Amino acid sequence: MVPPKEDHDDDNNNLDFEDAYDDIPLQHKRPFGAGLHKQRITFVPASDTHLKSVDDAPASKPPTDIADLYLSLVLPTESGGGKQKEDSTPPEEPTQTSAEMPCPICKLPVSDVDREEHEASFAHQVCLPHSHPPSALDRTRMGLNYLATHGWDPDSRKGLGFEQQGIQYPIKAKVKDNKLGLGIEIPKGIPPPKEREKLLDAKQVRKMVAKDKRKAERLHKELFGDNKLEKYLGL
Amino acid sequence: MADSSRTNKRSSVEGEAQDSKRIKTNGDEKYNPYLAHLNEDNGNYSNSPLDKMHRHNTTALEASRAEDSDLNPWTGRRHSENYFKILKTRRDLPVHKQRQEFLDMYHSTQILVFVGETGSGKTTQIPQYVLYDELPQTHGKLIACTQPRRVAAMSVAQRVANELDVQLGEEVGYSIRFENRTGPKTLLKYMTDGQLLREAMHDPEMSRYSCIILDEAHERTLATDILMALLKEIAQRRSDLKIIVMSATLDAQKFQTYFSLRKEDPPAPLLAVPGRTFPVEIFYTPEPERDYVEAAVRTVLQIHAVEPEGDILLFLTGEEEIEDACRRISLEVDDMVRESDAGPMSIYPLYGTLPPHQQQKIFDKAPEPLKKGGRPGRKCIVATNIAETSLTIDGIVYVVDPGFSKQKIYNPRSRVESLLVSPISKASAQQRAGRAGRTRPGKCFRLYTEKAFKKELIEQTYPEILRSNLSNTILELKKLGIEDLVHFDFMDPPAPETMMRALEELNYLACLDDDGNLTRLGSMASEFPLDPGLAVMLISSPEFYCSNEILSITSLLSVPSIWIRPNNNRKRADEMKAQFAHPDGDHLTLLNAYHAYKGAEQNGEDVKNWCHEHFLSFRHLSSADNVRAQLKRIMEVNEIELISTPFQNKDYYTNIRRALLAGFFMQVAMRESSNSKVYKTVKDDQLVLIHPSTSVTNTYDWVVYNEFVLTTKQYIRTITNIRPEWLLEIAPVYYDVDSFEKGEIKSALVRLNEKVRRRQAMKGGR
Repeated sequence: MVPPKEDHDDDNNNLDFEDAYDDIPLQHKRPFGAGLHKQRITFVPASDTHLKSVDDAPASKPPTDIADLYLSLVLPTESGGGKQKEDSTPPEEPTQTSAEMPCPICKLPVSDVDREEHEASFAHQVCLPHSHPPSALDRTRMGLNYLATHGWDPDSRKGLGFEQQGIQYPIKAKVKDNKLGLGIEIPKGIPPPKEREKLLDAKQVRKMVAKDKRKAERLHKELFGDNKLEKYLGL
Repeated sequence: MADSSRTNKRSSVEGEAQDSKRIKTNGDEKYNPYLAHLNEDNGNYSNSPLDKMHRHNTTALEASRAEDSDLNPWTGRRHSENYFKILKTRRDLPVHKQRQEFLDMYHSTQILVFVGETGSGKTTQIPQYVLYDELPQTHGKLIACTQPRRVAAMSVAQRVANELDVQLGEEVGYSIRFENRTGPKTLLKYMTDGQLLREAMHDPEMSRYSCIILDEAHERTLATDILMALLKEIAQRRSDLKIIVMSATLDAQKFQTYFSLRKEDPPAPLLAVPGRTFPVEIFYTPEPERDYVEAAVRTVLQIHAVEPEGDILLFLTGEEEIEDACRRISLEVDDMVRESDAGPMSIYPLYGTLPPHQQQKIFDKAPEPLKKGGRPGRKCIVATNIAETSLTIDGIVYVVDPGFSKQKIYNPRSRVESLLVSPISKASAQQRAGRAGRTRPGKCFRLYTEKAFKKELIEQTYPEILRSNLSNTILELKKLGIEDLVHFDFMDPPAPETMMRALEELNYLACLDDDGNLTRLGSMASEFPLDPGLAVMLISSPEFYCSNEILSITSLLSVPSIWIRPNNNRKRADEMKAQFAHPDGDHLTLLNAYHAYKGAEQNGEDVKNWCHEHFLSFRHLSSADNVRAQLKRIMEVNEIELISTPFQNKDYYTNIRRALLAGFFMQVAMRESSNSKVYKTVKDDQLVLIHPSTSVTNTYDWVVYNEFVLTTKQYIRTITNIRPEWLLEIAPVYYDVDSFEKGEIKSALVRLNEKVRRRQAMKGGR
């Protein structure tokens, strides 16, 4: 079979193996999957080595985290005191912060001065008690009637179970019909890889030739078939 | 005996326990039927090594002494030599060191959570420790140990019978669906979780058992989940029932809090036994992979080229993928052996539908080096996630994990249960990695980035109860007498919509009335270890004069496919199948094949050979035969007539086709248009194709199907042609035209109604 290519085999650190592989003359390439084992896959060791799937103490991060992040983005100059202010109203003197009390509804710090403004803010409005739109389930269903007689309210946004702690909606399935690895993201805007040109069989080739011939004849006739053109050109 | 007073009290508490065969102990040892054999063999009961042990008050030392004695305390016979050999290895198991600790905890609590990794010996040893403490022969109550899988229940029972030096089926037995190997002497019973659930339907207090061990609870199968909820309730009523929940993962907290019986109680106590595991080094790829199968193949080859001796376990998702990968790996390894003096490698596929003798091959030794002093050989097992928990293969040092597995998922809106390739959970990934550290320190290669591991994978695999059609479960719960399904204490309650769907399906099948109460039909249907649809079909088959035939079809549908279609002989297999084909449907084809098989059997032919020649699976046909016998017995108990239409009658097959509809009227599809091959399922409006495995060559307008298969396309498999008039006649409630949404199916039904009415009017006019 193929003699081992010296220039490839002893070069283990070559990262551009695929390119090097492409240099093999065509007649020496084997048709199916050949040389797969020479194309290395690199691995990096795990940063966290112990085999534990569940954290001992579930990380309960303080809810301020995201707010901090947001503020550090919008108020880059106030990097130290980002937590004190929530509104993007014009910055006030830091002395005022001491007078701020948390709003009883949305728990955000607010001073008496801009209470009205605060109450109009989106963050405050969202925290106000409000009702949800009713569930879309068909009320005439026998199953729903049964659950309702046993005390489940479809509009309550709760699940089943002893403390109604169950999931609200069934788990969604996602069909995976490709071999893409885990976590890969196909960047948008790049067209999908082109399909390879199809090989045509004899019949199709014959048809295509005939079609081309007809087309050429028609063109020929249009161009040279009558003497209109010659007349027009005054020949 | 010191605790005989306690035993007395107990038996008076549950004096009404049903099992009439079992005579309850009266405190008088002379009358105990369980010791009768001891007296015969020994002549003197006081010689028994168990004599001085007191129930719920034994020590590890006492038990060891009993185990060491010459006489087998359970049979009264002498211990064989082999017994002592096994006993020695048993004492080396990690769990043995904590026997006393286990007993102390067992005595002090009603419910115990036990965590031991695979290889700790918990499945075989803990039930025996319980056996030596419960001393069931003194009070007549058994010990049960549940397993999620039939194979595990059988093989573990065999193993434990060997370890105790008793006959399987005598003191130690097993019970799985359609097979019961226990006897009157049985003290310790391994069973599938589903089987214990079925027993609970007739014995809601589980009064036959003094201790129930739920093994592999971390797998969270449907039956285990329901058993947990049920046992939690029973434990509050029966303080003498002990429960041990065994799990292999570290996520025991959830079990502990769940099993604190009352709100104010502390969580159930936990006993953890370290597994015999070695550290596993974990590697990730720096970038996500484009093609995980190819990356997996290359990783295997890379390991073979550069890593020291040790076997490889590669996880892939399904049969096709696995066979493909095996082919590619073996091609490449041949190259490597030729080109670069690599060692030999044997490659074994492993998936559920593989015949057992081929599954056994994975335990073969790795191949020897090609020449003396050559590089060592290794084996590579390419498996689905059955190698994740259920099967332990020693010698695995390298694990390759692409991060996917096939998972069942149920959509209650379209009523489709399908197996889809999905990312695994973190717990699953860790379990896979752990497989590398069974014999020595190992390595796990994950074909995804560490970031993907942290961000893309969910913590725990969803329990089966959230991913399944619940109609069978709901029927069982109703039979168990659970009134309020809303507040039933599931560990993970299912989604309301899934529950609603199940209730409605049962309502249409007339197993539940409109208020959700069990009907007589429902009660009878729950007696059968079948899906409600199949059970209802079987029960109503005498009305169609074909219960014998429907019984056969039901059995054939309850076993894996009987057709064999080897890759290298597809054409011949198809020709053979065509011999049995019935133009009207696959159900009838199945029946023909079964009748031919029974015919060959009666003619005294070599059935195995006959099956081989006709490309039929002997294994599955004979198990269908067994299932048939079991179902027949249940039918006889319920006084369901077994009748047939004479074969010469022209309605022979028509009756069968009509009878199919009695249970499967919700699984009907109509052809979209007269020249299309696409069908639309009734009410769910799913567009489907007929699975290419069908033997039906005509295209019919209306078909009933057995299952819905979702792969890259949506298929319906095992179909039979029906006439739509039958639908209106057999299931008028479901086919009430007003309940249909506008569409082709509705207009077809309206036309049909019109036709039927006209015909009746004509008849009336005459």
